[in-house]
Amino acid sequence: MQLRINSETYDVDIPSTELLLWTLRDELGLMGTKFGCGIGYCGACTVHVDGEATRACMTTVSNVEGKEIRTIEGLATIDENDEEILHPVQQAFIDEQVPQCSWCMSGQMMTAAAFLEQNPEPSEEEVIEAMAENYCRCGCYVRIKAAVVRAGKTLTEEVEHEQNS
Amino acid sequence: MSKTARTDSTNPRKWRLTRRRFLIGMGAGAATLAVGAAIGVPIALPRIRKGINQMFILGEGEMPAPTTPDSPLVWFEIGEDNVTHLYVPKIEMGQGIHTTMAQIAAEELELDWNQIVVHQADMMHGFEGGTMMTFGSLSTLLLYQPIRETAATMREMLREEAARQLGTTTSDVVAAESMCSLQNDSAQQLTYGQVVSNKQGEWNIPETVPTLKSVNEFTKIGQPLQRVDFREKLTGRAVYGFDARMPNTLYGAIARPPRYGARLRRASVGTAEEQPGVVAVVIEDGFAGVVAERRMQAYAALRTLELEWSGGTELNQDELEQMVTVGRGGVITQDEGAVPQTLGDTPISAEYRTPLAAHAHLEPQAATVDVQPDQVMAYISTQIPNMARDEIAAALNREPEQINILPTYLGGGFGRKAGHDVGVEAARLSAAVGQPVHVGWDRVEDMRYGYMRQPTHHVFQASLDEHGNVRAFEHQVASGDIGFAFEGGFPGGEFGKWLAGADPFAGFGSLITYDEIPNRRVVYHRTKIPVPTGYWRGLGLFPNTFAMESFVDEVAHAAGADPLEFRLRHLSISNELSERFRTVLQTAADQAGWETPPPKGRARGIACSLNAGTVAAQVAEVSVTNGKIRVHKVTCAIDPGLVVNPDGARAQVEGSIIMGLSSTLYERATINNGIIETANFNNYPLISMRDAPEIDVVFINDSDHPIGGLGEPAIGPIAAAVGNAVFALTGERLRELPLTIESQVT
Repeated sequence: MQLRINSETYDVDIPSTELLLWTLRDELGLMGTKFGCGIGYCGACTVHVDGEATRACMTTVSNVEGKEIRTIEGLATIDENDEEILHPVQQAFIDEQVPQCSWCMSGQMMTAAAFLEQNPEPSEEEVIEAMAENYCRCGCYVRIKAAVVRAGKTLTEEVEHEQNS
Repeated sequence: MSKTARTDSTNPRKWRLTRRRFLIGMGAGAATLAVGAAIGVPIALPRIRKGINQMFILGEGEMPAPTTPDSPLVWFEIGEDNVTHLYVPKIEMGQGIHTTMAQIAAEELELDWNQIVVHQADMMHGFEGGTMMTFGSLSTLLLYQPIRETAATMREMLREEAARQLGTTTSDVVAAESMCSLQNDSAQQLTYGQVVSNKQGEWNIPETVPTLKSVNEFTKIGQPLQRVDFREKLTGRAVYGFDARMPNTLYGAIARPPRYGARLRRASVGTAEEQPGVVAVVIEDGFAGVVAERRMQAYAALRTLELEWSGGTELNQDELEQMVTVGRGGVITQDEGAVPQTLGDTPISAEYRTPLAAHAHLEPQAATVDVQPDQVMAYISTQIPNMARDEIAAALNREPEQINILPTYLGGGFGRKAGHDVGVEAARLSAAVGQPVHVGWDRVEDMRYGYMRQPTHHVFQASLDEHGNVRAFEHQVASGDIGFAFEGGFPGGEFGKWLAGADPFAGFGSLITYDEIPNRRVVYHRTKIPVPTGYWRGLGLFPNTFAMESFVDEVAHAAGADPLEFRLRHLSISNELSERFRTVLQTAADQAGWETPPPKGRARGIACSLNAGTVAAQVAEVSVTNGKIRVHKVTCAIDPGLVVNPDGARAQVEGSIIMGLSSTLYERATINNGIIETANFNNYPLISMRDAPEIDVVFINDSDHPIGGLGEPAIGPIAAAVGNAVFALTGERLRELPLTIESQVT
């Protein structure tokens, strides 16, 4: 079976019923996507499938064959000097000093990145609704909220900058 | 600035011990200066050690210093590349301790913040296991002084050597930003790396302790420096216990009993060995597990084992609550004045109850262990590496010295990662197959088969005198175990003897700290329940403070008093601790606008607590709509003494309040037919961003050194502050957690 992950093609020899989460982690070593509950409640395993925030713990690989999967490892980009450029959501999470243990943060950021793609200028209420299905046991919610708003502003500025240039 | 877990297995460094109990690294190949503090240097200021002693109810003396002489407590290395490597023993579980330690070191060692690498040390590299125990909000308290002394000593060595290399005297050399330069000619400078590189012969440690900086000279301590571990955490590169693998790692799954206390009477392989990917089925005295090539294969094959369980409890929730109920007897843990004679005929009385609760750290228990004939390597998500080592050694019948625990980042700990069943399980499976085995519990395993926060029941009685002051106050508490739950292990045994039947950990927060009350008595009723209970953030602090501070509020209202004023007048002005309570109460109230009316439809409640040497007070502002409690704002005043990183400290307070609110509003684990039925988030919901209030934190930060911890104390007051606010708004007193309300106020 072939999987498209972070713009690369991977050949994997696994049953079609294998879950995407364990395939990413245990077969491909992409450990940034985390396990939390296995029933889609906590959001720690959130990845993008064709741009949609998706729970990898409930998604079989057969459901994502031929689709474009993006994980936390593919959120940042590499520039022409081989420097890692963080995604505005990642940068905002650093600027707001959001995480504590950070186990949930890959899922938080993937949820936020997919959401801001659709709605880069959300109200606070919209941010809360978008992020309310991602648990953070360390209790970083106030900072997550601030970081998502901040990242939205950066994305909006980037779009405006591109349109002006 | 970066951060790595050291995972290579190069030879341990050799150390030379000096008279002042510092250590110099010996025999490094490349030019390197390595300086450490031996265990046994004064590991903390006497006042702090005395405080810790009192905190753990060990008596009035000082906590004894550990005695292993030649094992480092911390050490720092500087190489030719001018990067300073800080090797620290404490586990990073989200509390930011690696950043805190880097800041303390950078202050006295005058480091460039971008030239620091913090390493989680492991046992192969010199650390005696006990120094790595990370619990009780103690890390900064214990390591603040030794890190400063070690760093200052190293700085003086570098200055002295730089002076020799620059042809001048030490007093003319200024150290700053990982560089030594001439005071009068800053163009003449050497990086620390150059000083180390140019050094000929042996380094000597100065015989006198260098003068440490005073608070007003600090440039890094007290600053909100950024966390050192976020880049790798936010790019998915950080390695946690659930992530660590070795070459050829296999996956394990373990059979679990259907009821607490059930024993595996008979087990047979069934068809498990024929299932896809199965490498081995391991059945030995009371233990059954499967090793497979992939995780899902191991779990699938586990279901094909033929298992017969016997015994165990069939307890249901109402029976559990019956068990955890104040009855006769008990152990008196506080007794001042004469409570029975002063309660009077019609005391104010009330009962409170708190439920079992889960830690719900989002990274479940996990370990990857490789058992080889000569050594055992174990990655494990643990707060207490030395206990993990000893438990694995015992299970394998090996010497502890053969076991190297490689601690990882923790995806939350909250006390639960002081237990290490998962490491033992992975070790047993690895021993059977001769290959590394990863065991990572799923959520249901984690919610059922660890240990939980102990359930409690409280009975209060109080009487007032003719001035409306409290004459007598009694707290009777029935509680599940914490310290006693770990028989023979740290540290229940000793405490058990000391308190003759009252679990000191479960007793955190149970004592009556209002010292103007002349007659005070606390009676502890130990309750053995079949559900495993143990360390949960703050130990007894959260349940006891909810009950205590809610009842204090009841008594204040019975006396017709303002809850703030009532608390203040029952705290003496002559006692230092009471003075600290008064300060945080008044500060939180002022900051929250206690004297001004809240917005329409809202009310405020106040509560306070003491934990890990730190006093905290919180004001919650709430509304109630259609039976739902909404917490709009929490104001917290807290006094841990000197704060090393104010932003990290604020994060700990914010997180403690949110976690406490989760228990206040939602969390209740229940048992049915002998097993926890609330075993995943579909029936054990946590707080989400929807319920996160605005949080305002004020630090009382006027000491020149840390005086209390910060990882746990702020979880104390929140439940009572919310409950008291709900009473102020609705007149309904909520005496059980989670808080649920009958009143309809819009």
